Amino acid sequence: MSRECAMLLPRVCAALADPRQPGSDDTCLEKMLDWFRELAAGEPTVKLLQDNPCLTEFFTSMLALPEPNPSVLAFTLRLAGTIAALEGCFQHLQQQKLLARLFGEDGPLNSIVWEDASVRSGWVEGVQSMLQHQPALHFMCNGGGLDVIFTLQGDPSLFVASAASRLLVHMLTLSVGPEMTVPLNAKDCSWPPCAQMIIKHIEDSLQSSSASHIKQSLKLLTILFGSCQAPWTKVLWLGIAKQVEFFLTEDSVQAQHMLADLLLNMARSPVFHDAEGNFWASVTSALEHLTPVQAGPLAVGILRLRQCPQDVRIQALTVLLQPMDCILRAASQPLEYAGLLDESVSDPSAVESLLSSKSSCANLLCQTLAHLEELLSVTCLPVDLPYASLLHSVLTILQFCNGLLIPASPLGSKISQILIGCFRVQRSALDALAALSDRKCCDTVIGSLFDILLAYLESPNTSPTVLKKSFQATSKWLAHLPGMSFFKNQGQTEKTLQDVFLVLQKRLCSPCWEVRDSSLEFLTNLIECLRDQDEFRQSLLSSEVPKLTENLLEDPESYVRASAVTAMGHLAFVTYFFAPESPVTGNQYNKENTMAKLQEILSTDPEGFPRRAVMSIFTMWLEESCTGQLEETEQFVSRVIQTAEHDLDWEVKLGCLELVQVFCIHMFCQFGLPECPYAPVSPAVSSSNHQDEPLRTFCRTNLFSFLFRSLCDCDKPVGQKACDILLALKSHFCRSSVIDSQGSGDLSAEHSIPWLQRTLRQGSLAQNFPTDGGNGVDFQDPESMMLALRTIDLEELHDALNKCSDHVEKSPQSLLEDILATVATTEENEADCY
Amino acid sequence: MPEIKVTPLGAGQDVGRSCILVSIAGKNVMLDCGMHMGYNDDRRFPDFSYITQNGRLTDFLDCVIISHFHLDHCGALPYFSEMVGYDGPIYMTHPTKAICPILLEDYRKITVDKKGETNFFTSQMIKDCMKKVVAVHLHQTVQVDEELEIKAYYAGHVLGAAMFQIKVGCESVVYTGDYNMTPDRHLGAAWIDKCRPDLLITESTYATTIRDSKRCRERDFLKKVHETVERGGKVLIPVFALGRAQELCILLETFWERMNLKAPIYFSTGLTEKANHYYKLFITWTNQKIRKTFVQRNMFEFKHIKAFDRAFADNPGPMVVFATPGMLHAGQSLQIFRKWAGNEKNMVIMPGYCVQGTVGHKILSGQRKLEMEGRQILEVKMQVEYMSFSAHADAKGIMQLIRQAEPRNVLLVHGEAKKMEFLKQKIEQEFHVNCFMPANGETTTIFTNPSIPVDISLGLLKRETAIGLLPDAKKPKLMHGTLIMKDNSFRLVSPEQALKELGLAEHQLRFTCRVHIQDPRKEHETVLRVYNHLKGVLKDYSVQHLPDGSITVESILIQATAHSEDQGTKVLLVSWTYQDEELGSYLTSLLKKGLPQSTS
Repeated sequence: MSRECAMLLPRVCAALADPRQPGSDDTCLEKMLDWFRELAAGEPTVKLLQDNPCLTEFFTSMLALPEPNPSVLAFTLRLAGTIAALEGCFQHLQQQKLLARLFGEDGPLNSIVWEDASVRSGWVEGVQSMLQHQPALHFMCNGGGLDVIFTLQGDPSLFVASAASRLLVHMLTLSVGPEMTVPLNAKDCSWPPCAQMIIKHIEDSLQSSSASHIKQSLKLLTILFGSCQAPWTKVLWLGIAKQVEFFLTEDSVQAQHMLADLLLNMARSPVFHDAEGNFWASVTSALEHLTPVQAGPLAVGILRLRQCPQDVRIQALTVLLQPMDCILRAASQPLEYAGLLDESVSDPSAVESLLSSKSSCANLLCQTLAHLEELLSVTCLPVDLPYASLLHSVLTILQFCNGLLIPASPLGSKISQILIGCFRVQRSALDALAALSDRKCCDTVIGSLFDILLAYLESPNTSPTVLKKSFQATSKWLAHLPGMSFFKNQGQTEKTLQDVFLVLQKRLCSPCWEVRDSSLEFLTNLIECLRDQDEFRQSLLSSEVPKLTENLLEDPESYVRASAVTAMGHLAFVTYFFAPESPVTGNQYNKENTMAKLQEILSTDPEGFPRRAVMSIFTMWLEESCTGQLEETEQFVSRVIQTAEHDLDWEVKLGCLELVQVFCIHMFCQFGLPECPYAPVSPAVSSSNHQDEPLRTFCRTNLFSFLFRSLCDCDKPVGQKACDILLALKSHFCRSSVIDSQGSGDLSAEHSIPWLQRTLRQGSLAQNFPTDGGNGVDFQDPESMMLALRTIDLEELHDALNKCSDHVEKSPQSLLEDILATVATTEENEADCY
Repeated sequence: MPEIKVTPLGAGQDVGRSCILVSIAGKNVMLDCGMHMGYNDDRRFPDFSYITQNGRLTDFLDCVIISHFHLDHCGALPYFSEMVGYDGPIYMTHPTKAICPILLEDYRKITVDKKGETNFFTSQMIKDCMKKVVAVHLHQTVQVDEELEIKAYYAGHVLGAAMFQIKVGCESVVYTGDYNMTPDRHLGAAWIDKCRPDLLITESTYATTIRDSKRCRERDFLKKVHETVERGGKVLIPVFALGRAQELCILLETFWERMNLKAPIYFSTGLTEKANHYYKLFITWTNQKIRKTFVQRNMFEFKHIKAFDRAFADNPGPMVVFATPGMLHAGQSLQIFRKWAGNEKNMVIMPGYCVQGTVGHKILSGQRKLEMEGRQILEVKMQVEYMSFSAHADAKGIMQLIRQAEPRNVLLVHGEAKKMEFLKQKIEQEFHVNCFMPANGETTTIFTNPSIPVDISLGLLKRETAIGLLPDAKKPKLMHGTLIMKDNSFRLVSPEQALKELGLAEHQLRFTCRVHIQDPRKEHETVLRVYNHLKGVLKDYSVQHLPDGSITVESILIQATAHSEDQGTKVLLVSWTYQDEELGSYLTSLLKKGLPQSTS
């Protein structure tokens, strides 16, 4: 603790414990706790209490108050717990007889303030922090603290109840310790006393007739098995397995979700991975007895496990595939389609009844589709999913949802009636469809897949959110098109792409900005994925899409303008590299025209998004070397700097600095120097010519003026980035330079560099660069700039800039001063909205 | 018993980040999704893990409703939808949808400007989140799904602020968000119809305050600005891009016009043009005065307020500058503050709340020597003023709203515990309704007594009217029929129709009773005596003596036999259908009294 803080702390403690003072802002107390946690971690000794007796006095004064402020009392308990986590401090507080008054029966738990949830929460958190060593554990167990915690498990406050369960788990694991030898059965196990009490409580609760007690214990066990994978947990399970099995078959407790969570956490623990014991039988039982909705999360969790008995895995897969199978069966004529599952392994009646009910159909399908999407996102799934059938099933759902398919079977017609127009299911199915694009499915359905997607993209009934997902799914499938046999049929591919662009044309003119924007994002995405495919480029450039995209550069909505900028940037890229003289486009969308338009946007658009998008596109062009010859590129960068340096949006400036960074690399590459300016330059390679030309170019483009001024920008990220670039330039130019920096004193004075140095040192802190110019510094003079790079202590500036902009206000000293100042303010500034 | 459950994850006994979970008739709704600016880690957002415990968020929550664009009500939304993973519908009014992303973007820029900020959303996330938003009109009933509907009411407070009614079947909850019961310079007063919700969840920021007139505060503000400008000083007003800024702009613009002042007024953020554009666009959401004058001049087209260039800060002479951010913790407002703080002629007016850890908080708590970066000390000589212009209902306003809506229960949020306690008592005393004030994480359960609507078949209604009982809205009426519960709907039909619909055969249920009477006469004579007796007593009923010797009264059948052991005792077997239960019981008791002597 700094001397200043140590001096302020007693006054802060006194102020907090003074009941006449208005309560301090809760965030201040939270931040004070953060600070003490750091202190305790930094110096884990009793010195913290010895050096700051005001802390013990603070605890004493707070406990003496007849009606303490609940939030300050809660803070006291949490602070005491944090400090007592250090064994020395714990002993110290115990000698002072404070612990029993804080956390024991003499404390707040028997006073009226206990009714306040924040005090109970503070007590639980304090105890949890304190319980880092055995003496604290004994103190809590012997002092009757366990009973309090058992009661708090059922607290009306969710926060307190949940914290109490976590605390019991913590106590149990601390009590048992990591080294307990595991006996063969539960009866032979000699649990330590504290663990014994907790385990007995768990067992008793599970056998009680109170549903809430049972649920509390199930929750506790779920947390335990989720956080502790010690061998002794298996012994604990042996003692409760029968009861859990009973709950699975008897649904009187209504805790099926909890049971699924519990079993899943256990299944993830390696302790239960061997085939011995009854654990997997319980999982099987759960998958059998729970409803498909309840068993879904368990099934998906099981399928992600690397280690799991094959029969359980198959059963989990059955749970997940049943609804999809049911959909396929409902949609097809009898015997037309075999379905996903053999009827001998599953009884579809439960799923059928859920799917034919209005209230449960959408829920079950959304959950199943989300689970499938989750599984599809796993790269190495230990189980093979029947991708083709799943794809078929997802497509069927999508057809049900927009009325494309109304099957004759009673179940099919019922489901299609329920699903028609259901956005929720549409969204989930489209997500699953997009995820399926990464898997090898049979190509035969690709034609109908695009038909269905196009129907969604075309339909006026498609909501903007569904449309966005339709675009996402379409672009993912189109991106995989070149690898499919479908693509080999040129006619089909052309037709599909033409259809897509026709729809896109329509959607780009939508009155709804969300739709226009999603359409542009879709277009950009497509160009990124398919720009090297001839068929794609031809279809794109012969459609109206480029023209419409250009029109959207003037959209009233800035989000749309920004997306249009990005799309135009990519379009220009296509024409520059792949179709420079396309007869179709008449070179209308070439880079020059687009560049002029984007420059215009950069200097005139009133909002930041489009200007930022322009900067990203320019940087991308530069990275991809499509800004033309060296001279052209130089002029381009110079123009961009000129426009962006006065931008009011610091992120545009930051974008410009990124462009400058790429430009520097580009220049070094052009002159045969190592690509990365950070890399050491071999003296053998570099020659003065190679050095001079980039430096002269940078000066001509006014790059140094921009960089040095940016160091003093009022928005720190700009200064930080500029400093990074200048440091890189310095390391590049000065490393190989023969001029000795020590001998440049007079020279630098002549070039006003000391002034620049001073200005930067003050300006980077005060965030201010004189607006009247450079006071004689010629930023375009290579010699001056070399001197500046060599003389100015950029490393020091770098350290200063890299500090958080409000690090002073966020310091512990500042926090303590603020608490004192707030207390001293007579006038209360009412809590208010922002 | 049906119940409504409310759990605040934020705004329960505090004014932090509003986030309230409501569970009504099996539907789960999140009301607001706010952010706390006082933290720079996950604590700034509500703890959503309590919802994710219930499975996938999108499956659990039916919708999210945002009351208005202030960040303590919508600031966590992009985090919730794009990072935590909620993918369901989000509802807000049209102006809120337009303005919300501007504020979120403004705050994102300020946040990422600083180092050490973790887990914050990006511009793309804000955009993607806004694409999920469904905008609603005032008083438009929006069907979230087949059962759940919501409706927005005008709340004042800020442009686009709304109170929302959430209704499932006949159970309903109204959530006020922040509201203002008195009109201000550009907004009207909150209004709701007498919707008699089961529960009204109301903010209670000024639960114990009767606010001084806003006019006074405005006069005070103008006086201070004017005085500073007159003596050649500069006035800095740190603001967030929207909301209060526009209100103050209108105030100064009108004053400058009236007083013919020449000192320049600048607005430093690039976002303002867009904000003003929306204020112009949503003119219908402002108050009547603004709407009226709109024909001559749009109040939001400012003549005196111009865009600020950072070079202007060094210009000599008086000026007024609105600069972001509002808490002086980074960026331009802080830069200008540093330049102007040393001059006692200047003034900074803080029109909103500042969290700890900002320069704004420091100067408001009276600190005048501020340590700046590099151990520099900045001496604040300029005048510092705090003037809250937030528009919340005061205690009187809250009571007025309760009177207007007539809720069955009230629940207080967005206020301080002590003040809530006072208001709670007042509400319970005056309106005789239960009032709750749960802390964050505490669940309040309210039992409702819903009336369940039942469709009645036309046939049954016609039959009822045919027997002469015309419907009267004021008098409850008993109606007999068969209730069919099918596909989540209830229908009352005639028993015949029910049998037909359900394909069931009818079974007659008859009650029988034996009555012993002393009569030495022959059986047929006893029957005749009974017949005569009943004919005399039951004049309005059809009493018949059948050829087989039995008697019928409506559906009731009476037969007489001699007692097997005692011929002087006759056993009367009385049987009736359940429809004539009343008459059957009456007859039995009548016969049990015996036959009158005169009957022969």
